[in-house]
Amino acid sequence: MSAAPARLAVRGVEKAFGGITVLAGVSFDVAPGTLHALLGGNGAGKSTLMRVVLGLERADAGELRLDGADYRPLGPADARAHGVVMVPQERTLCLHLSVEENVTLGLPLGRFGLVGARPRRELAARALSAAAGDAARIDLGARASSLSVADQQLVEIARALAHAGLADDGAVRAKVLVLDEPTSSLGRRDAERLFERVAALTARGVAVVLVSHFLDEVLAHCDGYTVLRDGRVEGEGTPREAGQQRIVREMLGELPRRAERTARPRGDAGEALRVTDLSGERAPRGASFVVRHGEILGVAGLVGSGRTELLRAVAGLDRRVSGTVTVSAPGGLGMLSEDRGGEGLMLSRSVSDNVTLSPRGPRVVSPARLRSEARGWMERLSVRAAGPAQRVRELSGGNQQKVALARLLREDHGVLLVDEPTRGIDVGSKAQILDLLRELAAQGKAIVVVSSQLDELLEVADRIAVLRRGVLGEARDVAAWDAHRLLEEAAA
Amino acid sequence: MTSAQGAGRRGVSQRVRGVLAERPWIGPLAALVVVFVLFGLATPETFLRTQNLLTMARQTVVVGVCALGMTMIIVTGGIDLSVGSVVALTTVIIAARLRDGAGPVSAAVTGVAVGGAVGAAVGVLVGRFRMMPFVVTLGTMSALRGVAKGIAKEQKIDCDPRGLDTLLVSAQGMGPGLFVALGLAVLVALTLTYTRFGRHVFAVGSNEAAARLAGIDPSHVKLLVYTLAGLAFGVGGVMEFSTLTVGDPTDSIGLELDVIAAVVIGGAPLAGGEGSVVGSILGALLMTVIKTGAVHLGLPTWVQEIVTGGIIVVAVALDRARYARR
Amino acid sequence: MTRRTALLLSLLSALGCNKDKPTGGAGAPKRLKIAVVPKGTTHEFWKSVHAGSVKAARELDVDVVWKGPLKEDDLKAQIDVVQTFVAQGVDGIVLAPLNDAALRAPVKAAVVAKIPVVVFDSDLLGDAHSSFVATDNVAAGKLAADHLAKVADKGGVVVLRYQEGSASTANREKGFVEGLKAHPSMTIVSDNQYGGATTESAFSTSETLLVAKKAGEGNVAGVFTPNESTTFGMLLALRKAGLTKKVKLVGFDASDKLLEALRAEEIEGLVVQNPFNMGYLAVKTMVEVIRGKKVPARIDTGAKLVTKASLSDPAVMELVKPDLKKWLDE
Repeated sequence: MSAAPARLAVRGVEKAFGGITVLAGVSFDVAPGTLHALLGGNGAGKSTLMRVVLGLERADAGELRLDGADYRPLGPADARAHGVVMVPQERTLCLHLSVEENVTLGLPLGRFGLVGARPRRELAARALSAAAGDAARIDLGARASSLSVADQQLVEIARALAHAGLADDGAVRAKVLVLDEPTSSLGRRDAERLFERVAALTARGVAVVLVSHFLDEVLAHCDGYTVLRDGRVEGEGTPREAGQQRIVREMLGELPRRAERTARPRGDAGEALRVTDLSGERAPRGASFVVRHGEILGVAGLVGSGRTELLRAVAGLDRRVSGTVTVSAPGGLGMLSEDRGGEGLMLSRSVSDNVTLSPRGPRVVSPARLRSEARGWMERLSVRAAGPAQRVRELSGGNQQKVALARLLREDHGVLLVDEPTRGIDVGSKAQILDLLRELAAQGKAIVVVSSQLDELLEVADRIAVLRRGVLGEARDVAAWDAHRLLEEAAA
Repeated sequence: MTSAQGAGRRGVSQRVRGVLAERPWIGPLAALVVVFVLFGLATPETFLRTQNLLTMARQTVVVGVCALGMTMIIVTGGIDLSVGSVVALTTVIIAARLRDGAGPVSAAVTGVAVGGAVGAAVGVLVGRFRMMPFVVTLGTMSALRGVAKGIAKEQKIDCDPRGLDTLLVSAQGMGPGLFVALGLAVLVALTLTYTRFGRHVFAVGSNEAAARLAGIDPSHVKLLVYTLAGLAFGVGGVMEFSTLTVGDPTDSIGLELDVIAAVVIGGAPLAGGEGSVVGSILGALLMTVIKTGAVHLGLPTWVQEIVTGGIIVVAVALDRARYARR
Repeated sequence: MTRRTALLLSLLSALGCNKDKPTGGAGAPKRLKIAVVPKGTTHEFWKSVHAGSVKAARELDVDVVWKGPLKEDDLKAQIDVVQTFVAQGVDGIVLAPLNDAALRAPVKAAVVAKIPVVVFDSDLLGDAHSSFVATDNVAAGKLAADHLAKVADKGGVVVLRYQEGSASTANREKGFVEGLKAHPSMTIVSDNQYGGATTESAFSTSETLLVAKKAGEGNVAGVFTPNESTTFGMLLALRKAGLTKKVKLVGFDASDKLLEALRAEEIEGLVVQNPFNMGYLAVKTMVEVIRGKKVPARIDTGAKLVTKASLSDPAVMELVKPDLKKWLDE
C-alpha cells in the first residue's frame, strides 16, 4: 500500500472561518479502488473538508495530492477536470427533465453552445451503465420524477461520472468520487444495492469517499476510515479491525462524567398521548409509544431516520398510512417545527403577530391588547427584541425559536411535539429552552422531543427511544442510556 | 464632531426605516402629495378647483373599491386577473335587469351577488383545489368576458338607469356612491386589522405552512377572501354602471392591471403577507391624479403611461429597500 | 428652492408644450380653450380630424386640446376624459361619442356647468349639445347612386348592405336606394343581403350573390357597397368571377388597395368622407357657439366622389391622402 502513491492524499489541511478553526491540520490517504469512510458528528468538519477537496473552498494551509501530483483545484469545474466529483447529500435532479438530460446537465457544451444529440445520448448511456450497471432498467428518456429514490440516486452518480468524463469504451475517467450521506433516504435493501454499485466502481479503480452516519454500512463495506472531531483526525484504520465501539468512542471523545439522571417519578399520571402502529408514506414504520402527563419522551435518530416524519405523522400534518393516534389531554396537540423559516414562523410579520397567531380566540381583536400580551410572553421566555412590533426576520435564531415556542405555549396544548428545539441557536438560548421544556413537563404537559443532539436528549428526556430507518425502538429510561449506546443503536 | 454628526444621522435613518416598516403607506402618501402639489403649482386655476377634486375622487371610486378586494387577495399571496371582466359582467347584468323592469336596488344587488358568486367559485378552486390563482383567474378573465358578451348579445345594453346614474354624479356634485366606497374602505381596513379573520389573512399570505401548523385552515381563509373580493368587484361594477349608464361587455379591459398597480404602489408585495387598505387607496388616488393632471397640463397619453409605470417600479424598489439589511 | 420649483415647472410645461397653440405668454389675454375628444387617436381617420381641428384653431386664434380615451374605443375612458375637461373648466368640448346613450350624462353635466358641447362624427341622444357635425350619409348615398347611373346607364343593380344596426351605413344604403329612383333605367335586383363585419364574410356573400343574380349573364350592371370592407369583399368576388370590367362597382372609403383598383378601372367610383373638414367645421362651430352666434343643429361636412379622372386633382388627393404633417408635426 505504501509503494503506490495514494489516489487522494490530504496533508495538514487547515481552514478557519472568521477566526473559528474548522479544520486544524487534517491528513488522510485514500488508495485507488478503495472505499473510504469519513466519519464524525455534526460540526466535526467533514463538509468543509470535502468542499476543500472539491475546490469549493481554498485551504488556509496544507496540501492535496492526486496520484502523487500536486492538486490545487481552482473550483468545482477544475476539480472535475481532474476527475474529482461529488454527489451531494440533498437531491439535485431536475425532476421534470429526462434521465438523459439530467445526466448530461451542466456538461461543457460544444461549439456554438450546441451538443449533438447522438454523442450526448451515448455519453449518458455510458455514464448510466457505469453507475447503475446494465441490469438496472433505467430508461434514458424517462422523467426523473418517475424514478424511485434509489434509481434517482444512481442517476446522480451517473451525472457525477459524466462530469468527469468517460472514454469511448465506457472506461470511467473519474478518479475520486465523494458520496455524501448517499443512503440516508434509502431503505436497507436499496442501500445494499447502492453498495454493490459502489463496489463495481471501486473495482474499476475509482477511489470513493463515503460520508456516512451509518456505522453498520461502514463496517460492512469500507476499506478504511477516518474520524474527524472538532477539525482534527481522532481515529483512522480499517473499520472491521477497529470495531464499532472504538469508532463511536473516537467520534464522541471521552464523555464527561454525567450526573446520574433517572426519570422523574411520574406517580400514576395518566396517558396523554398514545400512538399505535403508526406508519407514514416513507416513515415512520409501525411506530408505537405512549407519553404520560408530565413526561418528556426523547427520540434519537440520525439524519434521514424519519424523525420529522414521525412527528408530522403524529400531528396529522402528513398522510398516515396506518395506525392510530389518541390524544387525551386538554388543549390537544401542538407542534414546534424544525424548519423555522419554512413553516415555523411568519418571518415577515411582527413578534406579536407570530406569538398571537391562533385559530381560536375572539372574532374581534385589539392589536394593542395582543401586543401587550406578546410583551408578556417575551418577558416570560426572555426574548430579546426591540419590541413586539419588530419583525421576526430580524431576530437571532434563538430568539426566533423562543417566539415559535411562545406561540405554542399560548395555545396551551396538553401535548407538545418538539422537533430539533435547539437547532442553529446559541448556547445560552439552548439552556433556556431545555429548562423551559422541563418546567412545562413539571406543569403536567406531555412532551415528545426529537433531536440529533444526543447530549441534549440525555439532559432533558425522561425516557428515550431510538429511531432507525423509520423504525422506532423501545423507549427506555434515561438512566439506561449514554451517548455511546445511543449512537451505537442509531448508527447500527 | 463629524463622528457625532454621523452617529446622529445614522440614528435618524434607522428611525426613518423603522417608521417606514410600520407604515408602508407613507411612501405612496408622500408621492401623492408631491404629484398633487406639482400639478397644483403648474395649473393652479384649474387643478385645485373643488369640482376637479370631486371629479378625481369620483374617478378613483371604481379602481379604489376593486382595490379593496384585490388588497385582501394580494395579502394572501394570490392575484385576481378577472376584475375587469367581473366589472363588465356586472354592468351588463345590471343593465339587463333594469331593461327587464327590475328596480334599481334589486338590479344593483343582483350585480353585486353575481360578483360574490364568481369570487366564491374562484375561492373554491384556489382554496380547496389548491390551483394557482394566476391561472384560475386568467381563465375566468376570458370566460366571464365571454359570458358578458353573450348576455349582451355582443352589444351595449341600453336601459333607463332609474337613478343609479346619480350614485356618483348628483346635482351637488357628490353622489352617495362616494360615501359607500369610503365606508367600504373603512370596513375592510378594520376587518384586516381588528378581526381574527383579518389576522389569518395576513398569516396565510406570510407563511401558509406556518398558518396550517398553527391550526388555521388556509383554504377556508382563501375561500372567504375571494368571495369578499368578488363582492367588492361587484360593487365596483355598480359604480362603473353608474358612470356608463349602459351595460357594456367590452368595458374595463385592462382594469385588473390598474387595480393591481394601485395595490402594489400602496406597498403590498405580490409575494403576500403585507398590504394595507390605506396604501391601496393612496395608490389608486395617485394614478387618478397623474391621469387628471396630464389632461390639465395637456400632456400626451404616452407621458402619462411612462410616469405611471415609473411610479410602480419605484414603489417596488422602495419596498425592496425596506427589507434591505443595514 | 424656488429656482428648483421653477425648473420643475418649466420641465412640466415643456413636456406639456402643446404644438397646437402658438407661443402664448402667461400674461396673454384669455384665449378660448377648446377640448376635442375623438373616439380614438391612432386611426388615420382621427388624425385627419385632428389636423382639421388644428387648422380651425389657427384661423380662429383659439387653443385646441386633443385628448382621446387612453385605450382606443374605451367608453369609460372617454367619459372620464369628458368629466375631467368639465372639471378643468374648458370653454367648450367637441366630442365624437362612442355611445349615443352613455355620453348623455357627462354632456349634460358639461352644459349645466355652462360648457357648450358640439358633437361630431356620431350622433348623441338628447338635445343638450349645440350642434351635430357629421357626414350626411343619406346625401353621400345619393351621390353614389347618381354616379352609378351615369357609368352603368341601364340594367340591374345589387346593393350589398353592411350590417344590421349600423346607423351610418344604413343611411348610406337608404340614400342610395332613394337616389336610384331618379334613374328609372336602373332597377334594384337585390338589396336585402348583408356583407357582415369582415372582408372575408363580405367576399363570400358577394360570390353567392353574383351567382344567384346571374351577373355572369349580364343581368347585373352595377353594384353598390356602403363601406370599406364590403367594397373590398365585392371587388375580390368580381375579380374572381372575371366581371370587374362588366359590372360597375361604386363603393365607399378610400384605402390604398381600393385606390389601386380605382386606377385599374376595376372600381368606377369611391365616395369618401371628409374627416379633415369634419374636424375643421366642428371646432369652427364650437367657437361660433361660444361667441354667441346661432348655429344649425345639423351640419354636413360633405362627402366627395372620387373617380379615376379626379385622382389627378390635387384637391381630391388632399382629401384622400391629406398632408397631415403640415398641421400635426410642424
